[in-house]
Amino acid sequence: MIGIYSCTDLSEDPFNEITEENFNPTERDIPRLLGPAYARAWFMGCCYDYISMQEGAGDSYVTPARPNGWGGPYLPYHYHEWTPVHPHVTTGWNQLFNGINAANRVYFQIEGETIQTDSEQQTRLLAELRAIRAYYYYHLMDNYGDVPIVTDFTDESLPVQSTRQEVFDFVVAELTTAMPNLSEQADNTTYGRMNRWAALATLARVYLNAEVYTGTPGWTEVINYTDQIINSGLFELNPDYRNNFTIDNNNSNEIIFAVPYDEVFAGGNTMHMRTLAPEQQQSFQMAAQPWGGSAATPQSIETYDEDDTRLDDTWSGGPQLDLQGNVVIDFSFNIPSIEATEFRHGYRVNKYEIYPGMQVASSVDLPLFRYSMVLMMKAEALLRTGNADEAATLVTQVRERAFVETNPADAVVTGAELQQGSSFNYGIWDGENEQVDNPVGGNDIQYGRFLDELLWEFGVEGFRRQDLIRFDAYDKPWFKKSSTNEPCRTIFPIPQEAIDDNPNLEQRNNCFD
Amino acid sequence: MKHIQFATLMKALCILPLLIGLHTNLLAQHEVSGTVVDESTGEPLPGVSILIQGTDQGVATNVDGDYTLDAPAGEAILVFSYVGYESQEIAVAGRSEINVEMISAAILGEELVVVGYGTQRREDITSSVVSVRAEDFQVAAPRDAAELIKGKVSGLILSTTDGNPTGGTDISLRGTTTISGSTNPLVLIDGIPGGLNTVAPDNIESITVLKDGSAAAIYGSRGSNGVILITTKSHSGTQATLSYQGYATVQQIVNQPEFLSADEYRSAIQQHGVAFTDYGGDTDWQSEVLRNPASHNHTLSLSGGNASTSYTASVNFEDTNGIFLRSNNQNLRSRINVSHSMYDDALSANLNLTYRAQNHFHGSRGGGSFSDNVWYQALIRNPTDNIFNEEGGYQERPGFNYDNPIGLIREVDGETENRDLRFDGSLTWRPIQNVSVQFLGASNRGSHLRGYAESFRHFTTTVDNLNGYANRATTSTVDNLMELTATYDQTIEGHSINVLGGYSWQEVTFEGFDVNNRDFPTDLFGYNNIGTGSGLQDGLAGMSSLKWQRRLIGFFGRMNYDFDNRFILMGSVRYEGDSRFGTENKWGWFPAVSAGWRISNEAFMEDLEFLDELKVRGGFGITGIAPTIGVTQGAYQSLSSYSFGGQFFFDGERNEWVRYLQPSRNANPNLKWERKEELNIGIDFGFLNRFSGSIDVYQRNTKDMLFEYSVPVPPYLYDQIWANVGEMQNKGLEIDLQVEAIQTQDLSWTSQVAYSTNSNKLVSISNDLFQSETDFLYFGGIGESVQLPSHRVDVGDEVGNFWGYKTIDVALNCDYENAQGECAPDGQWIIEGADGQPKTYFDLALDDRQVIGNGVPDHNISWNNTFRYKNFDLNIFLRGAFGFQLVNETRLFYENPTQTGINLLDTAFHDVYGKTVLNNEWQYMSYYVEDGDYVKIDNITLGYTLDLNSLGVSYARLYVSGRNLHTFTNYSGLDPEVDVSGLTPGYDGRGRYPTTRTFSFGVNLRF
Repeated sequence: MIGIYSCTDLSEDPFNEITEENFNPTERDIPRLLGPAYARAWFMGCCYDYISMQEGAGDSYVTPARPNGWGGPYLPYHYHEWTPVHPHVTTGWNQLFNGINAANRVYFQIEGETIQTDSEQQTRLLAELRAIRAYYYYHLMDNYGDVPIVTDFTDESLPVQSTRQEVFDFVVAELTTAMPNLSEQADNTTYGRMNRWAALATLARVYLNAEVYTGTPGWTEVINYTDQIINSGLFELNPDYRNNFTIDNNNSNEIIFAVPYDEVFAGGNTMHMRTLAPEQQQSFQMAAQPWGGSAATPQSIETYDEDDTRLDDTWSGGPQLDLQGNVVIDFSFNIPSIEATEFRHGYRVNKYEIYPGMQVASSVDLPLFRYSMVLMMKAEALLRTGNADEAATLVTQVRERAFVETNPADAVVTGAELQQGSSFNYGIWDGENEQVDNPVGGNDIQYGRFLDELLWEFGVEGFRRQDLIRFDAYDKPWFKKSSTNEPCRTIFPIPQEAIDDNPNLEQRNNCFD
Repeated sequence: MKHIQFATLMKALCILPLLIGLHTNLLAQHEVSGTVVDESTGEPLPGVSILIQGTDQGVATNVDGDYTLDAPAGEAILVFSYVGYESQEIAVAGRSEINVEMISAAILGEELVVVGYGTQRREDITSSVVSVRAEDFQVAAPRDAAELIKGKVSGLILSTTDGNPTGGTDISLRGTTTISGSTNPLVLIDGIPGGLNTVAPDNIESITVLKDGSAAAIYGSRGSNGVILITTKSHSGTQATLSYQGYATVQQIVNQPEFLSADEYRSAIQQHGVAFTDYGGDTDWQSEVLRNPASHNHTLSLSGGNASTSYTASVNFEDTNGIFLRSNNQNLRSRINVSHSMYDDALSANLNLTYRAQNHFHGSRGGGSFSDNVWYQALIRNPTDNIFNEEGGYQERPGFNYDNPIGLIREVDGETENRDLRFDGSLTWRPIQNVSVQFLGASNRGSHLRGYAESFRHFTTTVDNLNGYANRATTSTVDNLMELTATYDQTIEGHSINVLGGYSWQEVTFEGFDVNNRDFPTDLFGYNNIGTGSGLQDGLAGMSSLKWQRRLIGFFGRMNYDFDNRFILMGSVRYEGDSRFGTENKWGWFPAVSAGWRISNEAFMEDLEFLDELKVRGGFGITGIAPTIGVTQGAYQSLSSYSFGGQFFFDGERNEWVRYLQPSRNANPNLKWERKEELNIGIDFGFLNRFSGSIDVYQRNTKDMLFEYSVPVPPYLYDQIWANVGEMQNKGLEIDLQVEAIQTQDLSWTSQVAYSTNSNKLVSISNDLFQSETDFLYFGGIGESVQLPSHRVDVGDEVGNFWGYKTIDVALNCDYENAQGECAPDGQWIIEGADGQPKTYFDLALDDRQVIGNGVPDHNISWNNTFRYKNFDLNIFLRGAFGFQLVNETRLFYENPTQTGINLLDTAFHDVYGKTVLNNEWQYMSYYVEDGDYVKIDNITLGYTLDLNSLGVSYARLYVSGRNLHTFTNYSGLDPEVDVSGLTPGYDGRGRYPTTRTFSFGVNLRF
């Protein structure tokens, strides 16, 4: 109305946004402001990016071309032939830096008291923001190597690239600094948040891979940090493995850190959509027809012990029924090709609960750290430092629930066994004859058996790429991928878009010179 | 309801002229006769209308140009009028014989052309301006006002790219000038912003197009894409007239794509072992959704008045049906105009009321009308499948985006209602002879209401278990305009000067509300009882509302100077501000100058008698380009602000999800106008009273072009920001020619040619602040598994290049090897690699992509012919475009025999490169790029004018017309006429609503 009286007034008065001048947050708004710093972790469970990268680059999971599409951008993961313009390589980078940016922004607002808090809460929130930021940097270091470190929200200069070693040091320092001020609560009030235990698990994971990142192993630190979690007594293995992946998995005492998803409030977990066959829609009364792409590689299915219930708790194979008990599709373990397949080819992911009436988004939370991983990280550090039997005790502890109903004796594993090679039949899969034509096998992989244990326990949880690299098995041929022998493929390239935008960045990955 | 109102109104309108006509026969009469001839040729003119001023009495001349009528004995005045000639008013003054020489309007040269904020004599125009009067309009069943001037204005490319009755005309003027600004021309209806559909085509008196910057700069920021000035019919004289224009049409699809029939599908399985599925049925899916519909359109107009007051009222009703089931468009448009002048014309007032009600079917979630997905699904549906399953429901099958098209069209309910009510009025004060001050105010209230529902038999319930879905949405737009202008005219000893000054204020407020729900207890309510669904309680319903407002304020002035009808000078400037820009950059200057020299009026040219007109002119003007940001992508791109995003799981104890708050965008407080600088040089000529035309050359450079740049995060909040960085250039040539080839008493032939060519160049996309390291931009996208952009524009190159792989062969019998020395499988593409050498599909890399065509025609030409023989008239209109390519997306996806889950084109099983059938996944290959050159017989209309004077009908014409009759082309797709404007020109997408062929029969009557 003012405009009518002022003949040159062109001011804008937004009706559905809060302008900078009207932005006066109070303590009540803290969760609203903290949200963006965490929301960027949602992409991790989402179908297109994180799991596609981490599992698709590994030996157990593939997204072949289907009658309705797929293949396409997913094939480079399998072949290790991604490029700096690959969309998911770009999305991953952007999502992680967006999370860092959000953390920096809220850090700046709380530290500068744009948002008024009492000093105790201020200290705790600042520590939490440093920790979640370090968590994002851990992923950047892991996936992209040399990345820029930015901590000051007000710094408008173009970021300068750091080395992987520098990022490693930064992540460790940040988590260590934040640690004393992080909440020690491990209950629903800190679920999905960076509490002390999530930070410790991150540190342990970073040290577990330290040799890959820096050339110097950190087994002592792994044992130190995992022990802190174990000794807290706050966590335990859930007697039912599946409870970690149900719609109510936020109640599982095994989960240390997770991304909370909700079909209404927080979409992002669409694993069921991308793995189930379209024919299965009616079996689960789903609101949308599944897209039917991703499946287990035949060789990974072959590795499972027949008494290991984690096979059925991770993958669906064989006849699938609808509500009336009719067979709608029969999943074969063989996938004859990667360029043209039918929906029935390949075992599908059922690890994350598929419940009746599912929407496109699932309400199953994605666990990022489970207590069983803490035990397995410690076991690996023990194994690699000459304490194989001690390691075997922990591995047996993790295995027990998978054999309790079938053959409890099989759960026991010995230190000697853990020092054997892998049973994975590495080589290029001949889909016509359902065999590996020229197998190279996994006998030569040091602690290969332990690598197999990781597949069985953590299949499709987004760690396979890391594990294969750490066990020096990443160059093995599997399914349709030949042995690439390109160490530069252990990291993804910096997206071309990021390099184009920031002249301070260079592609140091010699696959893309 | 609406039909009843319409009928009532028609009755009322029919009675009125009868009442008016009654009193005229009371006076004494005497007979007047004479002959009417053409002033220049002396040929008699048949069909000239002669009316007694102030009455509805009149006659027309016969074939010999003779007339006889009874005139009142008093001071009767006869009005002689004829299309293309100046009207003459002649007092009878007791004479019984009055012979008249009619003067051609064109030769007379006093024709006034509507320009920005005023009119100008045609010969005074120094810019590139084209005006088309109603008598020269393309007449048959136009979808909007733009179709009336198709082919009449060189450089204005008007394309009809689909057959949807709610669709419009794609407009492109002088090439692509912007990447992210608006590409729509400014349309003004009697000076008030509106659309090409605001008034019925039959109500339009003339359409003027301001093409170049010097003409359009007076409209500042809105002028870059040209300005279309629509002038509606108004009454002159005192004779009340009633006229009716009506037509009925039938339509058919121009071409049907040849997909496999059920028999062909089965034989492909049996003979070639193709892995199709045979469901045992036989359904022609295309026929199931297509029809040959009839449509009709009626306009009734009434006008009249006296020396000081006049009125015009009209009502138009259109009921158009499309070639697909349920596809339609209904319009009811009415317009009332009243003008009055008083105090010896010192004060005059004009009031208008325009109303439009549009209703059409609405067949999908979101906006739109007929859902193209129905057609797309009909194309790809397995022809051996059945419409219904054994239980009587629609037969659905698994498959991503693979739904039964019959269910899609029959099991939805949807209607869109658009209402547009416009009031406008002006008050003009002439305190002294040379000065005029005008106040103009307008308020346009638009509303949009739509409802859409899916029944329980729709696949969203039978397959997706939604238990019904309904959506209701409404928007409201209030567009207020206020303008104050003043003019001053003076002529002293050959110096003629005209000065204009003005102020303009416009405010647009948009509000919207949208809600959807699902899980209904019944599907009987459709969208009319949306609260009965449970989706809201389950968190699965959607709800949104929004509001934004923007203002545009301008100060403008113009001066025209004419010396001795020889030298003409024009200068104008507009200072304009838009609320959408950054604090420091809201305002911009848009100046223009132009000049002309009428060589033919020079003394030294006097001897050249054959020359009617020769004028050279040149103009330079700067216009702005209105941003589309603020309309579609949130209004406040220059502002720092916070918006609510998704939900954050904050406190697991209370299971609390809170909506988090985040910055809305990377704000750019420096956002400003895109500026287009245009130089136009032209020549107008006419000789031998027969040939006339004009030639224009232009160069237009867009600077500070808006684009959304990719920026690093951090330091930026998000990875995209709007900034004014780029520069684009267009250069071109336009030629308009008109020949009065034959002008005899019985036969005339007028031929008109319009030609244009344009070359485009992206000059730069970087500046000091925003440097793009790539010197190209990608546009468009090819879906499914291809996932590649369709177009690329390189700096230094033109818009419209297709960027894909160049195929050169297919492999057969190991005639090619890949880099590992393995045989390329039979039927796989062989492409030209980046190094120019053949490369197998196995080795294909993104870097092998290259320019494989360009979708912008190099040449556009149209040829219009009007013949008149006695009472017959015939119009033949041809149009063509040359020098461009098309991506045939239908072939790309459905000429691929590896895709066995769907139906395919019959050509899918033909040999590729004469060698073997294709055995390759979908890919963006030059094999699917075809030359698009075409010539179209766009329109043929044959009319006959009847002499029904004895029945009191002063003018009666019947006509038949055919549109889009034939296309001469080598293009294998449905129609080579696709959208050639914007950034993805020439992409012939699958699922496009097919173009149609229309046959009409029409009647024009005037009483």
